[in-house]
Amino acid sequence: MAVGLTLIFGVMRVVNFAHGDMMVWGMYLAFVLATRAGLDPYLAFPVCAVALFALGVVVQRGLVDPIIEAPHEMQILLMLGVALVLENTALLIFGPEPARVRSPLARLAWEVGPLYVDVARLVTFAVAVVLTLALSLFLYRTDLGRLIRASADNHYGALVIGADVRRIYATAFGIGAACVGAAGALVSPILPFQPPTGLSLSVTSFNIVIIGGMGSLVGAFIGGLLVSVAESLGAVFLRPSLKELFSFSLLIVILLFRPAGLFGKRTP
Amino acid sequence: MWAAALAVAVLLALPAVLSGYAVTIFILIFFYAFLAQAWNVVGGYAGQLSAGHAAFVGVGGYTAALLFERGVTPWIGMFAGGALAAVLGAIIGYLGFRFGLRGFYFVLLTVAFAEICRILASNVEAVGGAVGLYITFTGNPRQFQFQDQRAYYYIALALMLLATGVTALIERRRFGIYLTAIREDETACEALGVDVLKYKLLAMIVSSFLAGLGGTFYAFQNFSLQPGAVFGIPLSVEIVIRPIIGGAGTLLGPILGSFILTPLGEVSRSYFGQSGLHGAHLIVYGVLLVAVVLFLPQGAYPYLRKLLSRRNIA
Amino acid sequence: MTSRLSRRTFLKTAVAGAAVVTTPVTLRAQAKTFKLGAVHPVTGPLAEPGQACRLGAQMAVEAVNAAGGIKSKGGVKLELVLGDTQTKTENGRVEAERVVTQGARMLMGSFDSGTTNGMVSVAQQRRVPFLVDIAAADQITANVAKSVAEGQQKVQYVYRNFPTGSSFGRKAVQYFGEIFAEAKVTPKRVVLMYCNDLFGQTQSRGFLAAYKAAKPAWTVLEDDVIAWPEPPSDLSTEVSRVKSLKPDVISPITRPASAQILLPEIRKQRLDILGIVGPGSPGFYEAGQIAILKDDVEYAMVSNPWANFKNPRTIQVAEEYKKRSNGKTFDTNSGYSYDAVHVIADVLERTASLDDPDAIVDAIKKTSFSSGLMQYAGPIHFNELGDNPNAVTTMTQILGQKPVAVWPREAALQKFVFPRPKA
Repeated sequence: MAVGLTLIFGVMRVVNFAHGDMMVWGMYLAFVLATRAGLDPYLAFPVCAVALFALGVVVQRGLVDPIIEAPHEMQILLMLGVALVLENTALLIFGPEPARVRSPLARLAWEVGPLYVDVARLVTFAVAVVLTLALSLFLYRTDLGRLIRASADNHYGALVIGADVRRIYATAFGIGAACVGAAGALVSPILPFQPPTGLSLSVTSFNIVIIGGMGSLVGAFIGGLLVSVAESLGAVFLRPSLKELFSFSLLIVILLFRPAGLFGKRTP
Repeated sequence: MWAAALAVAVLLALPAVLSGYAVTIFILIFFYAFLAQAWNVVGGYAGQLSAGHAAFVGVGGYTAALLFERGVTPWIGMFAGGALAAVLGAIIGYLGFRFGLRGFYFVLLTVAFAEICRILASNVEAVGGAVGLYITFTGNPRQFQFQDQRAYYYIALALMLLATGVTALIERRRFGIYLTAIREDETACEALGVDVLKYKLLAMIVSSFLAGLGGTFYAFQNFSLQPGAVFGIPLSVEIVIRPIIGGAGTLLGPILGSFILTPLGEVSRSYFGQSGLHGAHLIVYGVLLVAVVLFLPQGAYPYLRKLLSRRNIA
Repeated sequence: MTSRLSRRTFLKTAVAGAAVVTTPVTLRAQAKTFKLGAVHPVTGPLAEPGQACRLGAQMAVEAVNAAGGIKSKGGVKLELVLGDTQTKTENGRVEAERVVTQGARMLMGSFDSGTTNGMVSVAQQRRVPFLVDIAAADQITANVAKSVAEGQQKVQYVYRNFPTGSSFGRKAVQYFGEIFAEAKVTPKRVVLMYCNDLFGQTQSRGFLAAYKAAKPAWTVLEDDVIAWPEPPSDLSTEVSRVKSLKPDVISPITRPASAQILLPEIRKQRLDILGIVGPGSPGFYEAGQIAILKDDVEYAMVSNPWANFKNPRTIQVAEEYKKRSNGKTFDTNSGYSYDAVHVIADVLERTASLDDPDAIVDAIKKTSFSSGLMQYAGPIHFNELGDNPNAVTTMTQILGQKPVAVWPREAALQKFVFPRPKA
């Protein structure tokens, strides 16, 4: 799920509070598709991605664009407003109870020796790998992808070579939102969600992105793995309620000694 | 100067005519303006965005409340809390500045420390764990408790003025000039031989000490402390958004921001919170927040100043 | 265009804001209604129980008014002034101030113990009698009682009709023992698990304290109590740890979201246990939860404040509640808020004056009310701390995908199934 965030962050340098809430919307969309149209979330995730892409473009074009020259911190506020609207619209429409999408896959578990392999998690993991690869291909092998990376590296440079920076930003923000939407749909059978779930999702994502390295897709991916391993180890060897301590300590250590993340490019 | 004196005089006289709820709103405005002003020293002037200021409020509040349980009056506990918060601020600041974390990386460092405080507070039984601390209401002024809500009004007002005074003092001295210079171009400052680390660290200590004082006020006005409420990200966000909307790095920005945001939240709740549409008032608040940002993208205080100077020229 | 629009909205709201701040306190003598402030978390993470509380209170007010209002006071009608804490501690006191300024002469609320303690100070400062409908932390009433006993405060304005954390624990330990005895088993490895938040920790401390005091024949693995951060994103490690402890019985204290992760995980890892018996928490019995958890929650037991479904009025109210809430169960939260309004109506019938808070407090102290819809051990009354010692819990079990009261015997609608059948 952190893949969406790296892209938004890497390209826009936006501190995006609305990210978690967008993901919750991806989950609710999957929920609606599953309950109304009987579509399994493992098939419905592209629909959620498309819907969130549209939302991302609208937010970028309508709200972020007009204040792009304002102090950077203003965007925090803007996204906070957007997050509030998203969270409470979900509350209004879907109510406060925790929801979860039922998928036949999510009930399966394979017993491999002493281990239990959760089929749903395995599928989610596989799709995440595929999405990461597809995104890397897009960013490194297509013209639009190269332009996105160029604008992220150097805003004015991109302007100079005549790129339509606004359109590129809108696309990038949209793609980021689409990843978030797809991720939401994919975890909806595993993770129960409520309208306020967004905040903790945002925090976890930031964590993963920083540990892995900003602007690096592979890094975000490895970061995700590291965080979950650290938390599991914490839960096994110490009190499980302290397990978040490990991911935050890991974050601090990484920030201090490798601020660009494990796989990030070093920036001066 | 005259305008400021007049404003203070009005605020001093106001409780006589306000309803209890209005007094409470003003307390919130002053209190958050105070925390915002504390943040402003390091976040606004020095440009080191901290998104973990809740940690200082929490440390201050917990210290005072725990000392109170052992018979120490919060009037003393308040300063002990401020001092401990300053120590935490110094540690975070030293690590962050020593290792050269800037911008968003510093934001994350502060968030991570605040979250670690929250997790520790929820797991250590000696400080109440996840249940938190409950303070007995006595209404005894010696215990920082008051039967009359207006006493809190004056204390909150005093805190706000104190922080603003401190900030004004800093602004006028060399210290303030250095801070602004560091915000604008840290590398150039270093090249000119300014001890950047020292000044940033000082700003962090002043800021966290003030926020720590606020913790006592929080604890003895709400009578309960829970890890999620005082160390959590939402409180840090409340502290940060006020100076940003008012104009970070300006003396009046945090106060203006608080006078804009607190009433917005309360008004949308009083008018839209009664309907059967749960959440409608927060949607309204969110929309208003977005509208304010689009309307005042540079912050309220810079906008006002531009408006005033335009009048003066015309 | 955008900026002009936002400016207009902004100004309009600012003007409206000025109006509410200067609104004078309603003149008490002229009021034909008695305003009651009901503050609950209607948005934010605790919105689900908060909305249940609000609806329960609204239905009860309608019922009181339809039956003629406060008859001894010329049929004065009750009017709710609603408050929303947004699940933020500091808003308890802010919202209490607001509803009191808008004329509320009594307060009820607020589900979350931290917020409730903030409201206590408003009740004591402004002399507004406050009936806590839900909030379990013992300190809420005990601290005020202490303050009055020490002479720091003259009158206690805070009372509670809800089990306290410690009475939750005592009842749970008692029911566990009785059910185990009835089933002729003596589990030696009961594993306690809880969500590490305000609620989960209050409950687990109450349970462990009561267990230590009772020294029963069955045993809890006291050194291996497992807590998880709430909300969790995954509990597989925690459940593996439980599995390695070879438990007979798992005693979880959950929130709805964590129950949705915990119960399927217990099934997936195929734990061989006698059953799941919780000391008291939400997550098992709600209609929505059962719809999602299905078989995973079948036979799970939990000791909770529960409505007395032997009472035909309860069934009637529960039916109406279900209709008005889109199919939700009339449960702990809606039920206790419903009862709170009826207790308040009873107090107002008996008070010497509606305008004197101390007269209302006198009437509260003399309460002996037996028409509550929840399961009580006797009439509702308030002890020296301000708590109702007869507010007790009931052991419920999910049987045939429905929550059913199974213990104590006088409350049971069906016999419990324990140990649970092997899958």
